[in-house]
Amino acid sequence: MSKEEEYKEIFLAEALENHEELNRLLTQLEKKPDDKKSIDAIFRITHTLKGNAAGMGFKNVGNFAHVLEDLFGEVREGKLSLDDSIFTTLFKAIDTLGELVNAVKDDKTVRFRGIKTKLEVLLKNSKEEETEETEIKAEEVKEKPEKAKKPNSKKKEPETEIKPKSSAKTAPPAVEDAEVVSIDDSKQQEKSQQPEEPKDTKISFSDLVQVPVRKLDNLLNLVGELVIERDRIIAANSGMVNANEYARLNRISSDLQYSVMDVRLVQVGFLFNKFHRVVRDAASSEKKKATLNLSGTETEIDRNILQIISDSLIHLIRNSVGHGVETPEERKKVGKKEEGVITLNAYSESDVVVIEIKDDGKGIDASTVRKKAIKNGLVTEEDAKQMSDKDIVLMIFEPGFSTMEQVTSISGRGVGMDVVKKAMDSIGGDISVDTEQGVGTTISLRLPSSMAVKGTLLLELSSETYAIPLSYTEAVVSLYKADIHKVSNGLVATYLGNTISVVFLKDVFGLNQNQSVYNEKLLHRSYDELHPEKKLDIVIVSYNNRTVGIVVDKLLQQKEIVEKPLMKPFDKVKLVNGVTIMGNGHVCLVLNVSAICNMIFSKSFSSKSTVSNF
Amino acid sequence: MANTKELKDDKSEEKEQFQETQQLIVFKQGAEEYGLHIDQIKEVVLTPNITKMPQTPNFVKGVANIRGNIIGIVDLEEKFGIKEATTTAEANKANNYTLVIASDEYKVGLLVTEVPNTLTVKSESIEQSVNIVHDNNVEADYIQGIVKLDSRLIIMIDIFKVLNEDEFENLATAQDATA
Repeated sequence: MSKEEEYKEIFLAEALENHEELNRLLTQLEKKPDDKKSIDAIFRITHTLKGNAAGMGFKNVGNFAHVLEDLFGEVREGKLSLDDSIFTTLFKAIDTLGELVNAVKDDKTVRFRGIKTKLEVLLKNSKEEETEETEIKAEEVKEKPEKAKKPNSKKKEPETEIKPKSSAKTAPPAVEDAEVVSIDDSKQQEKSQQPEEPKDTKISFSDLVQVPVRKLDNLLNLVGELVIERDRIIAANSGMVNANEYARLNRISSDLQYSVMDVRLVQVGFLFNKFHRVVRDAASSEKKKATLNLSGTETEIDRNILQIISDSLIHLIRNSVGHGVETPEERKKVGKKEEGVITLNAYSESDVVVIEIKDDGKGIDASTVRKKAIKNGLVTEEDAKQMSDKDIVLMIFEPGFSTMEQVTSISGRGVGMDVVKKAMDSIGGDISVDTEQGVGTTISLRLPSSMAVKGTLLLELSSETYAIPLSYTEAVVSLYKADIHKVSNGLVATYLGNTISVVFLKDVFGLNQNQSVYNEKLLHRSYDELHPEKKLDIVIVSYNNRTVGIVVDKLLQQKEIVEKPLMKPFDKVKLVNGVTIMGNGHVCLVLNVSAICNMIFSKSFSSKSTVSNF
Repeated sequence: MANTKELKDDKSEEKEQFQETQQLIVFKQGAEEYGLHIDQIKEVVLTPNITKMPQTPNFVKGVANIRGNIIGIVDLEEKFGIKEATTTAEANKANNYTLVIASDEYKVGLLVTEVPNTLTVKSESIEQSVNIVHDNNVEADYIQGIVKLDSRLIIMIDIFKVLNEDEFENLATAQDATA
């Protein structure tokens, strides 16, 4: 099934559910016409339906829902009071809405303009508050046939397509009659509607099943365990049986795993489409002009990851409008179009999904950021001087940073951007910023496309096995002790012509237990103990544009693992992101590269070292 | 010996059915016997391989895979200062059984050298208020009572008070301060 079909199905399932809910609420409302909650709920549902339908390009449903929304907007504000005659119209409208939704599925033609016009008249009349009721009715009667007929006659399709009606040709007058009658006597109209209704209220079953994400999570966990168990059995029996013995088991369990993962994938477009509004609101409250362009909306990503980054994206987009896009006057001056353009782009790159937020605004001024970072105590002056512009720009993601002189309602509170960084760290993503003064800024988020399976590099330290996510690893190198040099209280080495920091993983772990006796030379400890000719295995990792070499005892292999989060009481352990169970049943810790980097660099920063910057 | 005792206790339970009784799990830590309510105990397993976890206090030996669950393993003897600190590697060799204890929030495994026994005691034979010289490392009221049975003395503990917040939480805040 094509993706488009799939979304159509989802839309239909949701729309049918909405329709059912509307029916229920309206019935409830009829009993208690001043029930504010029901009115609000109806308003909300019609609004959602309108939005979804418009997004999917089902104009009829969208327009119809829009009229209903407007009508209930009036009701909500108390401008339109609900009486019996309105209810009959409303019920009929809801039925028509249901037909329209079904028409999306089977492409049947549904005549809805009559009832739509009627709603519009109701709406119009409610706006002319002073008009007498009788007049309204009279007007309606007059207007109805005219307006209703026109669209009907314009429609090319003959009514034969409408399924339940016995004779298509006689149908239009019948409906109109009913409408006219309804204005005179609502009860009679109900009766006249009765024969139609049983045909329309066919119980329809959707082909979709809605499943709570929680259940999917559970399923994924189980599959994860199955895969681990498979590996364990294969490892235990290797050598004893033919390797092909397990080929089928391997294939089935892998297929199962990927199927479950596939179920959890959603298109980023779902989230992206919600941002039109965010951009509009942000721009109007800042008195700026901006539009949102979307591309790569069909890129797929794990639903949970999308959820985690949704807040971050809102912050980033608001920020692009607030800080990036200039006011229309400024833009004119520099020869840009008055309207700023924010582009959201997504694409897959092997294991990762990249989401770019791009604006054509003024760009980020590194020197302003540098000053601000120093002023806010995020870096010392000496450190700031040595940091490259690229590194400095990344400081905007540090907690307590805000460049806007004035605090505005949508950006500049100094919260927000650090939320982005935290969210990215929690899912093992990475942020990079590319900015050019006067041309614009592109913020790229690199996200894992699935949380379930991670490519990792297994390594050994003090005869325990650890895993490092491949998304952070750049390379693996072997160096002799002589290649590594002490600088201040850190260690450095040369990698591809660049000077990088080097740490011994053992020392990083040691830092914690001996916190009280922490001394500046702690990161040298393992180095000092080494034999001068020892060859060292080093994993080069990069995080936030910082590259660090991590010295380990031994490199093992590359392996796909199913990561489990740390449970209480270990959920506060920062250096470890999660665990996985190895083939032999042992627990293997998955290292948290961002925490390790943060730890080293915050220590270096606080002790005013200079090695951390390159 | 422990088994015969248990049988005897079971019989005495039958005789005095009307009296309120409690079932305990009794295990040795050092030379003393400690008791836990049976409903706190999930299972007793052969100690699996323990993986060391950084950023945790010393008495936390690490984590282990028990039936697919990742469970933290704790050495109470070390926590109580009964024996010298050991490394995870040593713990992997030395301790034979793990007592898995479950609370609403988490599970934790206690290292024991011998298979623990069950024991039924009358509720009244648990002395609730005891004057003990406390160790200031541990929250004072973790001792729920003392059970005296013939010549035996069993120390009833509330395991979650022992492990409560203090170390795990302190650890986290200490990390926050330095991070």
